[in-house]
Amino acid sequence: MPRYENRESGHECPGRGSRGKAVRVFGWVAGSERLGSLSWLTIHAPGFPAAGPGQFVLLQPEPPACFLPRAFSVAGQRGEEISFLISPVGPGTKQLTNLREHDPVWITGPLGNGFDMDTLLAPPMRRAVLVGGGVGAAPFPLLLDCLATSASGPDLDVLVLLGFRNSSQAEGGQPVRAAAARLAAGGASCRIEIATEDGSIGKARLVTDLLAAEQRQGDRLAVCGPQAMCEAVWQTAREASGLSCWFSLEANMACGVGSCHGCASLRADGSLALVCRDGPVFTGESLYGVGEQE
Amino acid sequence: MTFPMQSQHSSPDLIVHLGPLTLAHPVINASGTMEILELADVFGEDVLKSPPVGAYVPKTITLKPRQGNLPPRILETPAGMINAIGLSGGGLEAFVGGSLPRLLTLSCPLILSIGGFSPREYVELAAGLRQALQAGAGDGWTQRVGLELNVSCPNVHSGCLLIGADPGEIEGVVSAVRREWPGLLITKLTPNVTDIASIAAAAAGAGADAISAVNTFKGMVIDRRSLRPFLGNVTGGLSGPAIKPLALRAIFEIFARVEVPVIGMGGIRSAEDALDFLACGATVVAVGSAGFTDPWLTGRIASGLATSLSERGLTLRDVVGIAHRREA
Repeated sequence: MPRYENRESGHECPGRGSRGKAVRVFGWVAGSERLGSLSWLTIHAPGFPAAGPGQFVLLQPEPPACFLPRAFSVAGQRGEEISFLISPVGPGTKQLTNLREHDPVWITGPLGNGFDMDTLLAPPMRRAVLVGGGVGAAPFPLLLDCLATSASGPDLDVLVLLGFRNSSQAEGGQPVRAAAARLAAGGASCRIEIATEDGSIGKARLVTDLLAAEQRQGDRLAVCGPQAMCEAVWQTAREASGLSCWFSLEANMACGVGSCHGCASLRADGSLALVCRDGPVFTGESLYGVGEQE
Repeated sequence: MTFPMQSQHSSPDLIVHLGPLTLAHPVINASGTMEILELADVFGEDVLKSPPVGAYVPKTITLKPRQGNLPPRILETPAGMINAIGLSGGGLEAFVGGSLPRLLTLSCPLILSIGGFSPREYVELAAGLRQALQAGAGDGWTQRVGLELNVSCPNVHSGCLLIGADPGEIEGVVSAVRREWPGLLITKLTPNVTDIASIAAAAAGAGADAISAVNTFKGMVIDRRSLRPFLGNVTGGLSGPAIKPLALRAIFEIFARVEVPVIGMGGIRSAEDALDFLACGATVVAVGSAGFTDPWLTGRIASGLATSLSERGLTLRDVVGIAHRREA
C-alpha cells in the first residue's frame, strides 16, 4: 500500500496560536514514491512539532548537491513522519526525489503562518473549496486531514479542484484523493474534480474553468499554485460575490525565517511582504486588491 | 566509559579582542544574514540567551525606512547565491525604539552596521546611535557595542558603494564618523575595486579601528526564459563558496598593508574555511550566506576551530597571518 494511504486520519492540527517552535533536526528518508512526474517524499524527523496546514519546511540532503536548502509545503504528517509532494525540476529537487530510504536530510520547520483554520471554518461556513495547480496540490492532504479532525469535520462540505499539465502530473494528486477519502469516511461531503491542460484526463481545460463552473456565493477558497494560476483564480472568484480567498505563495528563499529578506513579494498596496515570515498564506485582497467592481 | 579531560594548554583559547570588545570566540555573522530576533520568534528565545556568534551584527541600519528592491531578489548560483535586497529595513528610529533594547540584552557584543547615502547620513546615524546608547545602555557601553560602516552595498543606486570605492570619500566619511563615535569603528569594504588594500589603508588612516572585508561581488544573472536580467535590481551581489578564493586574496593584501585587525568573510561554511581566513590575516571571521542553511553555523565553526587548532598545536595568535610567513 502506498505510504500516503497507509495513514489514519488524525493529525493533531495546531491552531495558529498553539503551535510549537520550529526546530532544525537531522532526519532521514522513510519513504519515496514516484507519482507520475511528481514524487511523494517522507522524512522521519525526530522531535518535529505538529505542522499546521500550509506551513512549510526547508529541506537539505546531507551532503547537499546545492548551496541552499529548498522550501516545501508540509503535505502530510503522522507524528514524526513528514511528507512532501515534490516536482523534480532543478538540481535541488532532483537530489531530493532521488534519495533512498535512510538517506540523511536536514529539515527546518514548521515555518510560516499556514492557512488559518479558525477563519476558514468560522460561521457562516458554507463550503470550503481547495484549488491547486500542479505541485501546488502539496498543502492539501494535510489541510484535508486537519479539516477531518476539526470540530465541524463530519458536517463539512468540501470541494477540491486540481489542475495538472497532463495525466502523468495528475498522478501527484493521489495523496489528495486519499486524504479526501479519509475526510469523507468521517461523514463529510468531499468531492474532487481534476482538469488537465492537455486533455489527457477528460477534456482539455484549466482549473479556473472548473472553478468558474462550480463556484457559489459564500465559498471559502484555499489556493496554491503557480502565480499566473493564482491571479486567474482571483479574477474568476471575484465574479461570484462573497467569496473569501487565501493564497499560499511560492518564492525563492534562502533562510526561510525572515533573516535574508530575499523572498519579498509585492502586495496590492505596493508594499512588500516576506513570503517566509508574513506568509506563505495571504488573503486575495492583500495580494491583488479589491479593484473596480464591474 | 570515561572521556580523558583535555589538558588546559592543549585547548587553545578562542577569546579574541577587537578593540574594546571581548569576543568569546572569533566567529561572527555578516550583516544582513542573521536576524537574531526573527530567529528567536521562530525557534524560541534560547538563541538570545546563548547566541552562537562571538559578536552579533544586525542588518544594516539606514536613516529612513527603506522597502528595498523589487523582487525577485535572490537566486542560487553555482557554489553560492546572488542577492539584491537593497538595504530594506525600518530605519534608525524604528531600530532604536524597537530592536536595540532587546539586542542590548544579548550576552555577546553588538556590532551595529550603518549605511548612508551621503557622508552626512553616516554621521547622523552614528550620532543617533551614540545618543541612544548613552541614554539606554549604561556606562561602559563602548565595551559592548561597536559600529560598522557599510560603505560597500552593491545594491543601492547612490551613495554607499561610490563612497566605498574611493579612498578620498572613505577618508572623509571615516574621519567624520570618528568624531561622533567613541567606540570601536569598523569599515566594511567592497571587493569591487582595483586595489582594496589602498582603500583599507585610507580607512585605517582616517581612524578606523578595524577593516571588515569583503562585501559581495557585483554580478548578474539572466532569466533563461525571457533572456532579460533575472533580478528586479538587474545586478546583485554574489556570495557563497564561489567567492572564497577571491575574498582570501583580498584579506591577504589588506593584512599586508594595514596594522589594524581585519574581519574576514566571503564563502565561509566550515572551520577549515575559517582557518584559511585566519591564516591570510583575519583576526575575526564572519559567516554570511552559509548561515541561511544553518542559523547555528557560527557556533559549530567556533567549536570546529578549537578542535582544528588543538590538533595542529597552534593558538589563534599563532595562526593569524601565518600565510604571510615564508618559513615552514
